[in-house]
Amino acid sequence: METKLKEPTVNELNQPLKGVSLWKDAWRRLKKNKLAIYGLVIVIIYAVLSLSASILPIYSYKRQVIEHQYLPPSITKTAGELLLEREESMMLAMARKMGRDQLNDQEKDKLEALRKKVETEAKEIGGKTVKVHERRYIFGTDPLGRDILARIIYGGQVSIAIGLIGTFTSVLIGIFMGALAGYLGGKTDYIITRIIDVMYGLPYMMLVIIMMALFGRNILNLFFALAIVSWLTVARVVRGQIISLKNSEFVEAARSVGASNFRIIFRHLVPNTLGIIVVFTTLRIPSFIMMESFLSFLGLGVQAPFASWGSLVSEGVEGMNLFPWRLFFPAIAMVIFLFSMNFLGDGLRDALDPQSKNKL
Amino acid sequence: MMNGDVILKVENLKTYFNTDDGIVKAVDGVSFELHKGETLGIVGESACGKSVSNLSVMKLIPSPPGKIMAGKALLAGENIFDMTSNEVRRFRGNRISMIFQDPMTSLNPFLRISTQMVETIRLHQGMDKKDAKEKAVEMLELVGIPNPGKRVDDYPHQFSGGMRQRVMIAMALSCNPEILIADEPTSALDVTIQAQILEIIKDLSVKLGTAVIMITHDLGVVAGMCDNICVMYAGKIVEKAPVDELFHNPQHPYTKGLIKSVPRLDQPQRGRLFSIEGQPPNVIDLPECCPFHPRCKQAMDICRKKYPPVTAIGEKCCVSCCLFKEES
Amino acid sequence: MTKFIIRRFIGLIPTLFIIITISFFIVRIAPGGPFDKEKRLPPEILKNIEKKYHLDESLVKQYGRYLLDMARGDLGPSFAYPDHDVNFFIFHSLPKSILLGTMALGLSVILGIGTGMISALRQNKWQDYTAMSIAVFGITVPNFVVGPVLMYFLALKLGWLPTSGWITGRYGWSTIIMPVITLTLPYFAYMARLSRASILEVLRSDYIRTARAKGLGESVIMFKHVLKGALLPVVSYLGPAFAGIITGSVVVERIFRIPGLGQFFVQAAFNRDYTLLMGTVIVYSVILIIMNFIVDIIYGYLDPRISYS
Repeated sequence: METKLKEPTVNELNQPLKGVSLWKDAWRRLKKNKLAIYGLVIVIIYAVLSLSASILPIYSYKRQVIEHQYLPPSITKTAGELLLEREESMMLAMARKMGRDQLNDQEKDKLEALRKKVETEAKEIGGKTVKVHERRYIFGTDPLGRDILARIIYGGQVSIAIGLIGTFTSVLIGIFMGALAGYLGGKTDYIITRIIDVMYGLPYMMLVIIMMALFGRNILNLFFALAIVSWLTVARVVRGQIISLKNSEFVEAARSVGASNFRIIFRHLVPNTLGIIVVFTTLRIPSFIMMESFLSFLGLGVQAPFASWGSLVSEGVEGMNLFPWRLFFPAIAMVIFLFSMNFLGDGLRDALDPQSKNKL
Repeated sequence: MMNGDVILKVENLKTYFNTDDGIVKAVDGVSFELHKGETLGIVGESACGKSVSNLSVMKLIPSPPGKIMAGKALLAGENIFDMTSNEVRRFRGNRISMIFQDPMTSLNPFLRISTQMVETIRLHQGMDKKDAKEKAVEMLELVGIPNPGKRVDDYPHQFSGGMRQRVMIAMALSCNPEILIADEPTSALDVTIQAQILEIIKDLSVKLGTAVIMITHDLGVVAGMCDNICVMYAGKIVEKAPVDELFHNPQHPYTKGLIKSVPRLDQPQRGRLFSIEGQPPNVIDLPECCPFHPRCKQAMDICRKKYPPVTAIGEKCCVSCCLFKEES
Repeated sequence: MTKFIIRRFIGLIPTLFIIITISFFIVRIAPGGPFDKEKRLPPEILKNIEKKYHLDESLVKQYGRYLLDMARGDLGPSFAYPDHDVNFFIFHSLPKSILLGTMALGLSVILGIGTGMISALRQNKWQDYTAMSIAVFGITVPNFVVGPVLMYFLALKLGWLPTSGWITGRYGWSTIIMPVITLTLPYFAYMARLSRASILEVLRSDYIRTARAKGLGESVIMFKHVLKGALLPVVSYLGPAFAGIITGSVVVERIFRIPGLGQFFVQAAFNRDYTLLMGTVIVYSVILIIMNFIVDIIYGYLDPRISYS
């Protein structure tokens, strides 16, 4: 029977020998970075919530229950109770204006009628009949009576999707253009580099806004516009890597021992660039979400009835004096996600390339 | 040429570095003496501790990871490790100067040469700007920079590698220090330039009476220049001897291996070039033993268990090897 | 050095040219714009356009007229507001935006570099930790969250600052405190991180080791040797930072109701008022180009390797 050769685990001086691959080493370093791990956990939670949104026991994000408009957030009180409270305090305020500090019989009757309605009224929502006033709106409602928690979760779907798809597209475009420029060199390289340089100097938001103005404000356009202005950095990085690796010594060394082009590309060029691309992608997603939110805030991004975190914040700003929860909950949800992605991205960067000049 | 008085005495220096992977014992008990006007060579492979020992003397070890754990460095009787920061700064560039390996990165690319040289001169010798600049030009001329009056106002990137190293030497010697530490000054230069730089160092050390510590991995460099040589391995000195003794009569197996590794043009070449088998050890968590034993053809049982003591051989040599313990 | 400046100046011209030309075409080709045959326009605007643009002439002649107009600084009539032309709007709103932008840039540079220096000198101690936490916050939280939140706490709840207005109005200079803070925060944060990292890296470099080996004191080393090199990345960043401030001002002006150029830009995008849109873009671009030019010159001044080669 063949015995498998075991790699020596200690050297002659009894010092342990550790073999290290890039990814194992990186994972080890990443694990030590607590912030990055928290970030990773939170991002996973968000991802799970977004993906399972349709099966979660939350209320519909677009079904309007007008009577439930502007309800403050509450875990303990149902919508019905809040409605009654509000009605009562409004009536008392009116009564005081007229010189009384108690409700008269007429008002009490109205209150009683409302109470009955609250207890018995049932509506048809999503094919089911529900006692709608028994709902608890944990994050409150918006002017159209829609549950803010549900809107945040659905908004998260939109924002995260835009972040992912946008990043993915721009990374693909970037890799393609960068590889083209780097590998072919010459005129192609020159033209592509010129384009990148000119575009780099322009404020990309302006370009995106112009494009939205030109071509209309729908989601497809949004993706397109954002992706068009975001591929620049990836292209530069990929081009740089390919050029330096094309001529580098270890490619020559690989060639000199007979490695084929294919092998060179996959065993050598790709792993080197992959690290940078992973880090870049992770850091790009929050920045895409920011860009989309920025546009949505201005009204140029996601349009009704879709919601994204940016549009939710925008809606929230309007009534923020009276209904601060409309601003704060979406803002906090978005900011936590952005923080988590940023910590994760920073952690990945430190883990994959601790000597990197970008180490902050 | 040596002159008798000991101007620098390093006793049992230990410098350790605290890293994520463990404690690196970069220098683990190094002792040597430097006499006035002497040229001392410190030879060894990469990471044997030769640079770190001298950086420790200059107190230039970055302090969060590194720490001087033990030992003394006596500069004319005073222990450098007991000095205050101000006192240390007073002798740096003034009584002891150091030049480094890579002249491309050792000069500040954003400041003119004149600025960099004048600041040292004014700091230690209190001259005014005009006089200091004149001195700088003088030094540049001494190291062989053509047209020094004009070139002193240039920026480092306007000089070639060899020229920059000359500038470094000029700057280091401008305050007439007693000791010049040269840390692999020629390793980053072409071979032809190497010879020129070494010539300059040698000439100036004679002219100005400066003692030189020459750190290098290249035996050829020390052969031509040094009076005495220390051979280092894995953070310790394994052999000390005057240059002729060392080359004609090496005692330690490592030294013998080193000398044998240098290919010789005056002998017929037979078969493969000689190299010492194996790799230098990882100095993290090094157990107590002779660090060279895995590569030593004459290793004995005791070499695996204890560190060999230092044995003097004659007046001027000593060696750290278990072979000698037995004999004496 | 002068040659360097001239070379850079000449480089500006093509970019400017490209922007103006693209602008020309966008105004004409844009769907939904006034040249779109399908759209019906109020007669006054139609009359203005025909008078101004001489649509009966050949394209080349139109382009020539356009260039002449540009050279004279005439950006054309607004499509949405028939009584005024683009210059009118820009003239009234640009100074406010410039004031905000310059203050934000200046503040972010001074505070950013200062904070970065302190962090680098007290690495891993509480000053470093606090500063970098604030920096992470500043970079991650978008300005359209920071602005309203500031307004909520400082203006609505505590009543310390007014919610809107301009310095010429009732509240004077206190009206720009929140807008400037909102605009400055992300760029200050980025520059603090950048300068900290840059200073730390320079402190590790060989030439600083040489400076120490010569016996120089720590403050001399910091201010004479370290800063010059360490600030280069920060200077490089000034260009993109200013571009970002311009972008950010669009949102800040809306939140704090400041009648600056950004407001008109967004309005124009909504209304498809292409002359106003492109007019503002050209103005912004000119400002950016000049800013990048100045940054280039400063960089060349600081780094002798570029200007003395």
